[in-house]
Amino acid sequence: MSSIALKTLFVKEVRRFSKVWLQTVLSPLVTTSLYFLVFGVALGSRLREISGVPYIQFVVPGLVMMTMVRDAFLNTSSSLFQSKINGTITDILVAPIGAFEMLVAYVGAAMLRAFIVGALVYVVALTFTFFPLYHLGWTLFFAVFVTATLALLGMIAALWAQKFDHLAIFPNFVLLPLAFLGGVFYSIDLLPEPWFTVSLFNPLLYMVNGLRYGFLGVADVSPEASAAVVLASFAVLLGVASALLRSGYNLRS
Amino acid sequence: MKPPVLRCRHIVKRYGKFTALEDLSLEVYEGEIFALLGPNGAGKSTLIHCITGLAKQSEGSIEVLGFDTVADFRTTRRLVGLVPQEINYDPFFTPVESLMIQMGLMGVEPNRERAEALLKTFALDEKRDAYTRTLSGGMKRRLLVAKSLVHEPRLLFLDEPTAGVDVELRRELWQEVQDLRTAGTTIVLTTHYIEEAEKLADRIGILHKGELLLVESRESLLERHGGRSLEDIYLELIRKADGRHAA
Ligand SMILES: Nc1ncnc2c1ncn2[C@@H]1O[C@H](COP(=O)(O)OP(=O)(O)OP(=O)(O)O)[C@@H](O)[C@H]1O
Ligand SMILES: [Mg+2]
Repeated sequence: MSSIALKTLFVKEVRRFSKVWLQTVLSPLVTTSLYFLVFGVALGSRLREISGVPYIQFVVPGLVMMTMVRDAFLNTSSSLFQSKINGTITDILVAPIGAFEMLVAYVGAAMLRAFIVGALVYVVALTFTFFPLYHLGWTLFFAVFVTATLALLGMIAALWAQKFDHLAIFPNFVLLPLAFLGGVFYSIDLLPEPWFTVSLFNPLLYMVNGLRYGFLGVADVSPEASAAVVLASFAVLLGVASALLRSGYNLRS
Repeated sequence: MKPPVLRCRHIVKRYGKFTALEDLSLEVYEGEIFALLGPNGAGKSTLIHCITGLAKQSEGSIEVLGFDTVADFRTTRRLVGLVPQEINYDPFFTPVESLMIQMGLMGVEPNRERAEALLKTFALDEKRDAYTRTLSGGMKRRLLVAKSLVHEPRLLFLDEPTAGVDVELRRELWQEVQDLRTAGTTIVLTTHYIEEAEKLADRIGILHKGELLLVESRESLLERHGGRSLEDIYLELIRKADGRHAA
């Protein structure tokens, strides 16, 4: 393994998103803060408590998770797909870089971007409604493994995609609806059957509720159940992404 | 005897049902300039891609200085450099940044002085901090050549490095290629300017529909055909082979 190559690729990926920070950091921060202002601050002043916490606090972890999910996915998928399309992937393919280094560099940079945006959203929320963090360990656990999982999904999507439209399917038609339905804005306890049971098949539910447990100590599902789903998703996508990279799927003709 | 720098054994490359390379064997020796000639679609780039890691051969094995390009890919890729036929550039980085990144990717500690020296060699020092997309086509191609050299490869592949490069710079580029060879680099190049190959190459290979029609030293090839130009010899061979395929 070449540590110089790994470091270079990681730094290159970080510089790529930092150079366009308006798009990659500020834009998701503004969008998510708007959600918070509308749903948390405006509506929240009218709504009662939910799961025993004020609504304005209830939505914070969901919004942080929603943006981290999206940003982790977007960073790997757009970077890898663009280099496939503009041919700069050649620079990596001719280099003595293995599947493992590629994976660590791309996923690491995407996690960093998601952490930066997630932390900024959290700070914005805290200026409106201060609350202490309930459990640092669970918070970090879910932040780390969810962003890693979504970054892996982004790599797989970029390898598979043949055109930009293919990529756009994920954030708009998969991740956003699943995040909304996964209880960013509500507790699934409020749902009638069969929607309650249907919701339990949504992996984003466990990601949102896992982080909510870490932040607030309340959740629709236990943190252990959430952790199990997140770890299983991570393991599956890690396996798929490594296998695809190792085989050169849609990279080495 | 020293092992050849490059040894391809019975390479077959298929894209689906289409066979791009058919049982191709070739050796390239230390310090030579080897010109790979052939019409569009002959398989020149395909062969180069199999050696450099951009593609995987369907059958056969490739060794660079005795190391297998699949099993020992980390070693062989450090030894090999590639100037791809298709121009590519990363719009996010300037020429000097691109070179430093490429050093790192190749496993060499990034070094700004060396990057700037390379840009100077290829008459790009004025553009070193420009957006790469604002470089002209020929400049982008020269940047690719500079990028292929960041790790001082022992075996360098130039896939049509002079396409779109002006006469003056083409001469300079070929001078640079000869200097590299003098410094010990082995060079494999493709070009559609046959007279360039005639001037530069020590040995010539002619590829046609995935098969090597001929591999011979320039001297003996020209001697055998008594005073005719390489271009004439090349065209005759290709036409003959086309006739055989048509028959
Ligand atoms: N990724 C691919 N998928 C399918 N077919 C391919 C692929 N790459 C190359 N080919 C086919 O393989 C054949 C050889 O192509 P190649 O690019 O090696 O030719 P070449 O000798 O480099 O030609 P040129 O002088 O035009 O660069 C062509 O018929 C081409 O269409
Ligand atoms: Mg070609």
